[in-house]
Amino acid sequence: MILETARRLREAGETAARAGRDPVNLPMIRTWLEAMGDANPVYERELLAPPAMIQVWTMRGLSGPPVPDPLHLMSEISDEEGFVAVVATDSRQTYHRYLRVGEEVSVRSRLDSVVGPKRTALGEGWFITTVSTWLVGDEPVAEMTFRILRYRPGSLATEVEEKLRPTITPDNEFFWAGVTAGELRFQRCGECRMPRHPPGPACPACGSFKQEYDVASGAGTIHSHVVHHHPPVPGRRAPFVVALVDLPEGVRMVGEYRGPRPEIGDEVRVFFDDGLPVWRPDVPVLEPWTIEVTPTLIVSTALATRDFQNVHHDRDAAVRLGGRDIFLNILTTTGLVQRYVTGTLAPGTRIRGIDIRLGTPCYAYDTLTFTGQVLPHGIEVVGRTGAGAHVTGLVRVAP
Amino acid sequence: MINRTAAIAGIGATEFSKDSGRSELRLAVEAIRAALDDAGLRPADVDGLVTFTMDANSEIAVARELGAGELTFLTRIGYGGGAACAVVQQAVLAVAAGIARVVVCYRALNERSGRRFGQAHASPDADAAWHVPMGLATPAAQVAMVARRYLHEYGASTDDFGRVSVAARRHAATNPHAWFHGRPITLDEHRASRWIAEPLRLLDCCQESDGAVAVVVTSAQRARDLARPPAVIAAAAQGSGPGQFVMTSYYRPRMAALPEMGVVGGQIWAQSGYRPEEVRTAMLYDHFTPYVLLQLEELGFCGPGEARHLIADGGIELGGRLPVNPHGGQLGEAYIHGMNGIAEAVRQVRGTAANQVPGDGPVLVTAGTGVPTSGLILEPAGARP
Repeated sequence: MILETARRLREAGETAARAGRDPVNLPMIRTWLEAMGDANPVYERELLAPPAMIQVWTMRGLSGPPVPDPLHLMSEISDEEGFVAVVATDSRQTYHRYLRVGEEVSVRSRLDSVVGPKRTALGEGWFITTVSTWLVGDEPVAEMTFRILRYRPGSLATEVEEKLRPTITPDNEFFWAGVTAGELRFQRCGECRMPRHPPGPACPACGSFKQEYDVASGAGTIHSHVVHHHPPVPGRRAPFVVALVDLPEGVRMVGEYRGPRPEIGDEVRVFFDDGLPVWRPDVPVLEPWTIEVTPTLIVSTALATRDFQNVHHDRDAAVRLGGRDIFLNILTTTGLVQRYVTGTLAPGTRIRGIDIRLGTPCYAYDTLTFTGQVLPHGIEVVGRTGAGAHVTGLVRVAP
Repeated sequence: MINRTAAIAGIGATEFSKDSGRSELRLAVEAIRAALDDAGLRPADVDGLVTFTMDANSEIAVARELGAGELTFLTRIGYGGGAACAVVQQAVLAVAAGIARVVVCYRALNERSGRRFGQAHASPDADAAWHVPMGLATPAAQVAMVARRYLHEYGASTDDFGRVSVAARRHAATNPHAWFHGRPITLDEHRASRWIAEPLRLLDCCQESDGAVAVVVTSAQRARDLARPPAVIAAAAQGSGPGQFVMTSYYRPRMAALPEMGVVGGQIWAQSGYRPEEVRTAMLYDHFTPYVLLQLEELGFCGPGEARHLIADGGIELGGRLPVNPHGGQLGEAYIHGMNGIAEAVRQVRGTAANQVPGDGPVLVTAGTGVPTSGLILEPAGARP
């Protein structure tokens, strides 16, 4: 039935334009900014809507009339087939321009694809992808490709597995103590000064047991790399990249790499995350930003984005559907990504698009830390909780 | 010591499957009984047992189930599939030294239905601390790191890896004992198979199997009087390289290489007196396709980075310049940790293989790559004085 409905909806093509309930208005903008904790003055001063609000203007609301859009219809049929739980997984938004207060927005959408049933960490489910276009009059002002997972909660659910941890020995403990201290250490023979990695108790060059270490500059060059897809690695979400890095100090080491697909010879720089050295492109980075995710933040932002899914405000419902607690909705994650970039770069930064992929849910009482790298094609943003990457994304900004 | 003093007198195997439905111990015993029957020997004749450190079946349990009597030689070799030919070398040394007269080498595993080696596992090994916590946690990913560098240094392409897989599956297609019997693949199918660890695709990775293989080693002299024509062991060598790690020897100046196989190659050519161009067919360990290319280079069949020319146009297929793994290898026949390659080499020497390579020249076998490894050269009796 799911595939049959999907086929029918795909054939039906794009829906007619459906008008938002209210025009773009200052009270909703202010509520949204307040819930997000976004103090950017640009919007009120210029009477513009934050671009990441685009979806909000046409949300159906708590008790609005049913709307025959493909996402809603696919959700209904998924419910009937037992795939009652939902999480958003991907959102790619492009903003042609910012909306002005007073403008009337409408939306057209079409079903792009329905893929499943797939085994996921949450349970067996279907990925449903839709494409929406927002219009002011006949003018397209924004587009979004949006993917959700409808799943059978708990059917295949697994706890987030711990990363595989190193065996610490007297010969390597200096390295791991260095990681804790935020230093990339490598062994150097206390007699002949030969650098060495991986380390060991005896120098292969001179035989000395006098082993010392130096702290590396943190720079490196990619010697080789792997994009891991399969099988699953505990505590990691595939695909991920592992690189073999040449250090200018004369040693080579393996580490996870985060950033756009690398090439051999790329310059990289180390940072530390979750007790491990990680490599990133040697490009400017944004100052990290950490936010405590309180229930208040989750509930107020869910309401400010007109998202009344119970998993964002009702703890019992969230737990019943397989969650640990209530969790952030994707509209809020998008808003927080926008807040991070504009708040860190400059309030007036013009956002052209926000593409995000959600990983582990961000639950109440999690601590969410954003980091960003300035790359030629945009700003790569990652938001992590203790359980791993909650969001990875690219924010495209106007030059 | 090697010097054609010993021979493989019998080979035996279970069926190769994805779920044997029986214990690894039982598989071991079934394969050993088959090998002894093949040689025309009885369990009571066995006085030596050799296996892999990874094998779960103790020599004494195997001996009990076989009904063997006293043993005078019990040993094991480490480093996973790198042990395959080294267990035979152990047997040769024991026979040549007069320590044992009939030594059985065995490997039994429910690798598909039991513990799967291709999954990410925590390791207590201190060396693993430099790779596994960083996410480089599977054999495929560990090989992919070398494979990427190899492509970069020599201008090879992933199609060159694919050609190894196509050859293996072509051979398996006409081997009734192969899991992929009757199921050849095309290069396009390789190209379309999903990524496992870029640059490796699913069809660059060998299959996972349940099964067992055993071989019986005795003196060349005694082997002549047994049931089957002997496969004389002209060379048997083990090798480890400088800066050696298990699957992660990334810290040598040149990482797109397998110098440990070079150590094996140097010995087997010297021991046997053969040159690479005399080899009739080679059983090259093929858990992952890139290492077949690197082995061809390390063993001297071609220069560094030149293997892609050797394998082009069916060069390693039946009828090619050097048929590699005519049984289908581990990509096509079964993954029995390299031991099925030794059994195939014996069949090629006897002239009884499903895909027999014509001639009476020597047959080369190698063991697991990326780890300390080993190799053999087998030949018919009387091939050399």
